[in-house]
Amino acid sequence: MLTIDGSQGEGGGQILRTSLALAALTGTPVRIERIRARRPKPGLQRQHLVAVQAAARVCNGRLEGAALHSGAIEFWPQAPCAGTYAFDIGSAGSTTLVLQTVLPILLDADGPATVEIRGGTHNSMAPPVEFLQQSFLPVLHRVGVSASLALERHGFQPAGGGCIRAAIQPGQAQIPLALHERGKAIARHAEVLLANLPAHVASREALALKHALHWSHQEVDEREVDADGPGNAVIASLRHSEVTAVFTAFGELRKAAEAVAQDCARQVARHCASQAPVCEHLADQLLLPLALGAGGSFRCTALSEHARTNAAVIAAFLGEVVAFAEQDGACLVTVRGRQTG
Amino acid sequence: MSASRPLVAIGLLGPTLDAGRDQKRWNRWRPSVGLHLQDDLVISRFEMLHQRRFDNLAEGLAADIRQVSPATRVTSRHIEFSDPWDFEEVYGALWGFAAGYPWKPDEEDYLVHITTGTHVAQICLFLLTESRHMPARLVQTQPGPRRGPGDRPDSGDGQASLAGTHAIIDLDLSKYDKLASRFAEERAAGAAVLTAGIPTRNQGFARLIARVEQVAAATRAPILLGGPTGAGKTVLARRIYELKKARNLVDGPFVELNCATVRGDAAGSALFGHRKGAFTGAVNDREGLLKRADSGVLFLDEIGELGLDEQAMLLRAVEDRVFLPLGADKPVLSDFQLIAGSNRDLRAAVHAGRFREDLLARIDLWTFTLPGLAQRREDIEPNLDYELRRFARDHGRQVTMNREARARFLAFAAAPEAVWNANFRDLGSAVTRMATLAVGGRIDEDLVREEIARLHGQWRPQADAGGDPLDGLLGAAADKLDLFDRVQLAEVVRVCRRSRTLSEAGRTLFASSRLARRTANDADRLQKYLARFDLDWERVRG
Repeated sequence: MLTIDGSQGEGGGQILRTSLALAALTGTPVRIERIRARRPKPGLQRQHLVAVQAAARVCNGRLEGAALHSGAIEFWPQAPCAGTYAFDIGSAGSTTLVLQTVLPILLDADGPATVEIRGGTHNSMAPPVEFLQQSFLPVLHRVGVSASLALERHGFQPAGGGCIRAAIQPGQAQIPLALHERGKAIARHAEVLLANLPAHVASREALALKHALHWSHQEVDEREVDADGPGNAVIASLRHSEVTAVFTAFGELRKAAEAVAQDCARQVARHCASQAPVCEHLADQLLLPLALGAGGSFRCTALSEHARTNAAVIAAFLGEVVAFAEQDGACLVTVRGRQTG
Repeated sequence: MSASRPLVAIGLLGPTLDAGRDQKRWNRWRPSVGLHLQDDLVISRFEMLHQRRFDNLAEGLAADIRQVSPATRVTSRHIEFSDPWDFEEVYGALWGFAAGYPWKPDEEDYLVHITTGTHVAQICLFLLTESRHMPARLVQTQPGPRRGPGDRPDSGDGQASLAGTHAIIDLDLSKYDKLASRFAEERAAGAAVLTAGIPTRNQGFARLIARVEQVAAATRAPILLGGPTGAGKTVLARRIYELKKARNLVDGPFVELNCATVRGDAAGSALFGHRKGAFTGAVNDREGLLKRADSGVLFLDEIGELGLDEQAMLLRAVEDRVFLPLGADKPVLSDFQLIAGSNRDLRAAVHAGRFREDLLARIDLWTFTLPGLAQRREDIEPNLDYELRRFARDHGRQVTMNREARARFLAFAAAPEAVWNANFRDLGSAVTRMATLAVGGRIDEDLVREEIARLHGQWRPQADAGGDPLDGLLGAAADKLDLFDRVQLAEVVRVCRRSRTLSEAGRTLFASSRLARRTANDADRLQKYLARFDLDWERVRG
């Protein structure tokens, strides 16, 4: 049994999710200990428990120690199973984080799978659905993964009540990734999402964003969405021929609409200042599918603590397959894939 | 926390805090929803208590809770009270719930949510949990502060303020040792009141005082104080009253009567009062001590001396709180706590027909027998200091003992030859005499020697006046004894009776000859002597 130190690096839920996926895909029983040991409330929290249980569900795995506040779990995976899955996680966690855990596992299933997850879809501490749809999944398509994601209903904290649905065809990445340039700029677009809040919140955010980025009216939309409880997000995407980058800022209680727009604008501006095609968040997400698939390389603007932690966990299962190098003010990431032979 | 066991939360629906039908309800903190939004709490079942008239609100709230926490099963339970601020009604309703609820403490853990409901409801929930009617821990929720930029972005929610925070309070946990030790201090302070601040070195006495403290605080039932004369019954009764007064348990006065000092009509009228003309000499109405002790404490010393008629009236007064003054035709009400004192064996008095059995049964609930001074010789020194301080206080004159005098007095006081017939009263008198005679406020060895002689003189005739110690011990066999043996045996029995142990009696009786021998087996020698008269230690001690 492989033992993973859950307190290394970023030391949070990411280690847990990556370890569970790798355990299921390599058929390696794993023990994860010192879970979130350096956090103020150590051990498993509700949202982590949800991801752990979901991972076990999709491969009929056996779990020990999967309880609230538990500092160590043991996981004996079995073969991933095709089928229809539904997870209702309430507002205990983000639907996208659960999807992030089960998606790579289900790529190894014996047939197509659909996954419906209810709960929060737009949550400041998790990648929003638009990021997965516009940025992450298109890159996966390039390397031969076939998965789609639909947003059925928006769900914001704390009411939740959102729903996403993913359709996953079996098969890990077949084609090595080579993503070193952005390519030609095609479009830029921003969407201000608003639920159960006064309309001026959206118009102020749209105005502030246009002002900050010098974008035109056509490039910024306001959209009122149906959801339980209040919700607000500013989502900007930059489409290039090779890749799309998505940046999000969330409205918060007592945070000025203009400040939310500034948050998003700052991320867009920072990305534009660099030439690298892959943003920090996308880099985090790509390591695992590339390592499990045909590998490849990409250039990214920056490396987050999450990415380094992911690389360390991947190394524990598959050996040192991820390499980082500095190149022209950006970071070159090279991944040797399992399918490369 | 054992996380694998189902966690069940029980809480009142808050018609104000939990309310809200439109989308705006998600904008603010609602305690019952917030409880189910906690990162580190998974509630398997929520028992939502509410009145029938809030059925609609309850339904909406249950749906919201299910949405944010799909793992939670929400059960709606009706509980009715017309005035949520009426303590009796709310307590009754919650008590009824607690009594009827199928608790399974072996299988499930329980949390009682005390953030919703009126303050009265919160107090009732606390009381029911504290008394283990609800075998639960308390949980309190509150709206959380807004997340600061320094907080760890790992909780998965950016709007923790709507979830709020929670705190679990286990009333059983040892972390409340601090509180418990405060109670202990208070009780020790109570014990100090009872002993007038005189520290006791006698463990048995310390235990007895601790028990008296507990009983004094907990009950208004009669208390019976036994023990020899001068053991401190009156002082203790007064101290019990003072303790109760200090803790606001009584507001009436302390009233005392030594029943041996009144007889017949005088006793009846002193206790129960009389109407004018009730008997010869009753020229005016008299209130009586029972009435005066209303909502206070009545201490009746030497209760065994009370006549049978008065005993009957007293019994009724204790049981029904009413009595009839002499010559009156309307009963009088008085609610007092009775403390009775007796140095006699009341059971023997019942046997002899001098004391009512039913009255004894009534006052015998809490019986404390105070040991005599001879049984608490280790406490003589602190009591000596106390008596000296008391003399100084009463007479405004500081008196001290020099070292030799003190040592000599204590050596005498602790020796078996000091019988302390009248116990602490003897000690008090001895100190008063010595202090009064002390020239220049200093008690010297001469004064002590003089006092010892005086005490010896006091005790000897009293021991003789105490009757023949052989009475009742030998029965018919006494007549067959020569006077020569009788005199010797009588003194041996006297020594035995004032000694604590067989060995101590042996040491006193064979004090001279034991010096000459190498092995001292005085106890054995005494035992053999007694056996010649078919007596043993137990029988001699009676």
